[in-house]
Amino acid sequence: MIQLQQIHRIFKVGDQQVHALNDLSLTINGGEYLSIMGPSGSGKSTLLNLIGLLDQPTSGEYTFNNQKVTTLSDDQKAVLRRDQIGFIFQFFHLVPRLTAIENIELPMVLAGIPSTERRTRVSRILDAVGLAERAHHKPEQLSGGQQQRVAIARATIMQPSVLLADEPTGNLDSASGNDVVEILEALNQQGITLIIVTHDAALGARAMREIKMIDGRIIDDGHQKPR
Amino acid sequence: MLIKDLIKLTSCAVIAQRMRSFLTSLGIAIGVAAVVLLTSIGDGMQRFVMAEFTQFGTNLIAINPGKTTTHGASIGIYGTERPLTIDDAAALEKLRDVEAVVPLVQGNAEVESTHRQRRTTVYGISGDMPHAYRVEVALGRYFINEDPSTPRAVAVLGSKLRSELFGSRNPLEQRIRIGGERYRIIGVFAPKGQILGVDLDDAVYIPAARAQEMFNRDSLVEIDLLYRETADVDEVVASIARLLSARHGRDDVTITTQQQMLDVLGSVLAILTFAVAALGSISLLVGSVGIFTIMTIAVNERTSEIGLLRALGGKRQQVMAIFLGEAIILATLGGLLGLVIGVGGAQLLTLLFPALPVHISWNYLIAAETLAIVIGVIAGVWPARRAAKLNPVDALRSE
Amino acid sequence: MMVTKSHARMRLNDTLSLTYGALRGAPTRTGLMLLAMAIGVAAVVVLTSLGEGARRYISDEFTSLGTNLLIVLPGRSETSGDMATLLMSDTTRDLTLDDARALMRSRYIRRLSPINVGSSQLSWRERSRDISVFGATHDLLAIHHWKMAQGRFLPLVEMDRATPVCVIGARLSSELFGNRPPVGEWVRLGERRFRVIGVLATKGRTVGIDVEEIVVIPVASAQALFNEASLFRIIIEARDRDAIRHASAFIKTTLRKRHQGEEDITLITQDAVLATFDKIFQSLTFTVAGIAAISLAVAGILVMNVMLVSVSQRTAEIGLLKALGASQRQIVTLFLWEAAMLSFAGACIGLLIGLGGSWLIGYLFPAITMGAPLWAVVAAVGVALLTGLLFGVMPARRAARLNPVLALVHHR
Ligand SMILES: Nc1ncnc2c1ncn2[C@@H]1O[C@H](COP(=O)(O)OP(=O)(O)OP(=O)(O)O)[C@@H](O)[C@H]1O
Ligand SMILES: [Mg+2]
Repeated sequence: MIQLQQIHRIFKVGDQQVHALNDLSLTINGGEYLSIMGPSGSGKSTLLNLIGLLDQPTSGEYTFNNQKVTTLSDDQKAVLRRDQIGFIFQFFHLVPRLTAIENIELPMVLAGIPSTERRTRVSRILDAVGLAERAHHKPEQLSGGQQQRVAIARATIMQPSVLLADEPTGNLDSASGNDVVEILEALNQQGITLIIVTHDAALGARAMREIKMIDGRIIDDGHQKPR
Repeated sequence: MLIKDLIKLTSCAVIAQRMRSFLTSLGIAIGVAAVVLLTSIGDGMQRFVMAEFTQFGTNLIAINPGKTTTHGASIGIYGTERPLTIDDAAALEKLRDVEAVVPLVQGNAEVESTHRQRRTTVYGISGDMPHAYRVEVALGRYFINEDPSTPRAVAVLGSKLRSELFGSRNPLEQRIRIGGERYRIIGVFAPKGQILGVDLDDAVYIPAARAQEMFNRDSLVEIDLLYRETADVDEVVASIARLLSARHGRDDVTITTQQQMLDVLGSVLAILTFAVAALGSISLLVGSVGIFTIMTIAVNERTSEIGLLRALGGKRQQVMAIFLGEAIILATLGGLLGLVIGVGGAQLLTLLFPALPVHISWNYLIAAETLAIVIGVIAGVWPARRAAKLNPVDALRSE
Repeated sequence: MMVTKSHARMRLNDTLSLTYGALRGAPTRTGLMLLAMAIGVAAVVVLTSLGEGARRYISDEFTSLGTNLLIVLPGRSETSGDMATLLMSDTTRDLTLDDARALMRSRYIRRLSPINVGSSQLSWRERSRDISVFGATHDLLAIHHWKMAQGRFLPLVEMDRATPVCVIGARLSSELFGNRPPVGEWVRLGERRFRVIGVLATKGRTVGIDVEEIVVIPVASAQALFNEASLFRIIIEARDRDAIRHASAFIKTTLRKRHQGEEDITLITQDAVLATFDKIFQSLTFTVAGIAAISLAVAGILVMNVMLVSVSQRTAEIGLLKALGASQRQIVTLFLWEAAMLSFAGACIGLLIGLGGSWLIGYLFPAITMGAPLWAVVAAVGVALLTGLLFGVMPARRAARLNPVLALVHHR
């Protein structure tokens, strides 16, 4: 469902060029569980942003669900992100003045879904991430693990086909990190494609397919190892 | 995005920064309050002056001798070789659609009763005067149209002059001297008040021909003419011009309709009110700089939130709408607060200075509030556009 | 960072450089606050110089009429301020040429001219124009400081001599005669014939009448033309400033005597009128400046708002300063200096804009001599500084009271 062909991503800093992604090709099928690892600055986040349609390759082809997306307009990509892609960040990125429920509702608000439908969907998902009694708390009143679970709920509320997680456990202790990973893996079991960027080798090893990056290239693509 | 959700999102952001939002709105509020207060005073003045003028009715026409004017008055009233006469006035009475004609001679003379004396204005006029100027006779009667060539020595007092000369005593049938000549008082006018500094109550009214004799002149200062409400002004003016041209051999009078005067006066006053409102708007301008500043700060502070919204599938316009909405809410609230302060201030003014004509007009209130909202849009649009244009990846990375 | 514990106070240049750094750190924000302050100050400056310009314009108009003038009008009303009725009123007793002549005897009076005005039609051959006629005497030229373009002014003869001569305004001359020299031509005023003896060079207006479009004839001729026994007014020039008082006393007593003890004239001195106008315009300018100054209060609120934001954003910095030993007082001082510098710089920019704007208006409308009164400039800058400081107090105190530990922890 995701096809990257000869992707280059070059940043210009002053008159210097940073080759963040260098001739990268990658195919990901629906329902896969993928981890991306590599040293700092190797281009993992850049790759994830590209897959998530937040960024544009300098050159190369990107096909998402059999649709060439490099030529889509800004708004069309926004709609794709909203309906098909869920993001989970290292620093949670919750809106501090909104309650847990309101944060989770945000993508549906942007999609213009009426509030009655939102309520039923949110209460279902709150149960799934185990935050039912924290529904009306603000982010500052939640622990890191709880905040990340709110973020996961928000990322999945639109029932996307891909979940992109950039170091989702980077800011969590191992116990709550583990909780978060288990939730994510459960979602993958339900058929969502899951891509996790991580520095944690143990976490990376849990994925069905491990990708290793250095200097903007994939140096190891551990295809479909048996579970 | 549903409009309800947009309002909720934006107002949530406004409430989250209570102090900041309050101060920003206060800036707009002061500007709006200034505009409301100043226009209320301006509008009050305008109404006051207009009411002063229209108390004489609106279908009056003034005819002055001479063609050249100064300060809006005809030079001819000071001197002209072809003066307006009482006969001209009599001729004008026969025109179609003319209801009343008042020849006017104006002078200044010593008025003496048995006990007191006072220098005051003397108006020489005709029996049509109460009808034309809409004055009531409070006491006694008025000189009914009599033979203008042999008018009797009778006088009607203005209400103030009456109390100056007679106090509370009955002045009717009393003898007074005006400019040394003996007159019999036959009536007293009801108070009419001042009009542009001219006190019509502190005056004495005598037949025009008598006044001409007294002041040793055979001309009139002015002829005032009341036409039927149903008549066409332009036609009346044209027929007056025709008649007087025929009588004088040439066109040598200045004809001014009350409506013209009201129009000129009205537009002058409206310009004044507008200028005053513009003065008040300087504060609004500064207030709009305030909204602009605070929104720019908000966009900077919430860059990563903007990135998040974009990652969650928010379109550029949606981000724009959210920040523009915040600016508009700030301005709208400020405007409403300003209306409250302004109206309260105006009310306080009327309480403190009852003589000051203050009139709060809905039009200006609505205009001020609309202006505030427009200011919100203008001041908010640049920061909001900046927010919308942010690159989502960069925005997410900022912390 | 020079925060030494041994000194209770920071050195001024250190304070300034710290503050300057803080302001430079957020250039957009600083620029916007400067803009707000500048708008307020510029508005005050421009509006007051407009008011002052208008005042000067009127006062110039009055002075251009002549110097040390007194005007006698016939009639008097006991209703105060009732000039409008007075101006168009007749009186039982005329103000006559003999009255005017009687006034000439005073040594306090340098010169005078009796005046009659009226409206008439001036014609030459087929051309004719509706004009204003001034009946006057020889001395009016000197009293009004008028200048002649061609020919002479009215001859110096007895006031009651009705010589058939006239002097015409410049525009009238060109409209009626084109390029021909008008002097020596015979024109008609109404039914009477007059010989043109001169053309006025002066522009401008007097008693609201355009001097370029008037015809001046001997006052006796005007009285005959308009069949008017009374004068419109007598215009008198006192010998000097100090003589005005004596002259007006003389005029009053002389005319009362001549009018059988009745005080039936009104005497206006140019000084009194000027003073009244000055007062009106000054209060107008003051009001306008006050309204414009409201915007300075709004700018002050903006400064307070932005400084509050800045305090919360610079929490870590403040915590650090405190950890390094800065006292509450020092922090308050630091923030107040920031507010003061902002408002002062804003005021200076506003002053420049305001003066530039005034200059531009003066340049575009040369008739108005613009010039912001000093009090307005001082007040504008002063009020700007004051509001800046006043509204800076609250954020500064909030900064000073921050708990240093929390302040340091607050920032990630
Ligand atoms: N917006 C940008 N402008 C310039 N250079 C950038 C930008 N974003 C990323 N880079 C550069 O691209 C390279 C890849 O960055 P990226 O963030 O993808 O690395 P990463 O693998 O995610 O590292 P980490 O593990 O530290 O998160 C780095 O050298 C980085 O400096
Ligand atoms: Mg990264």
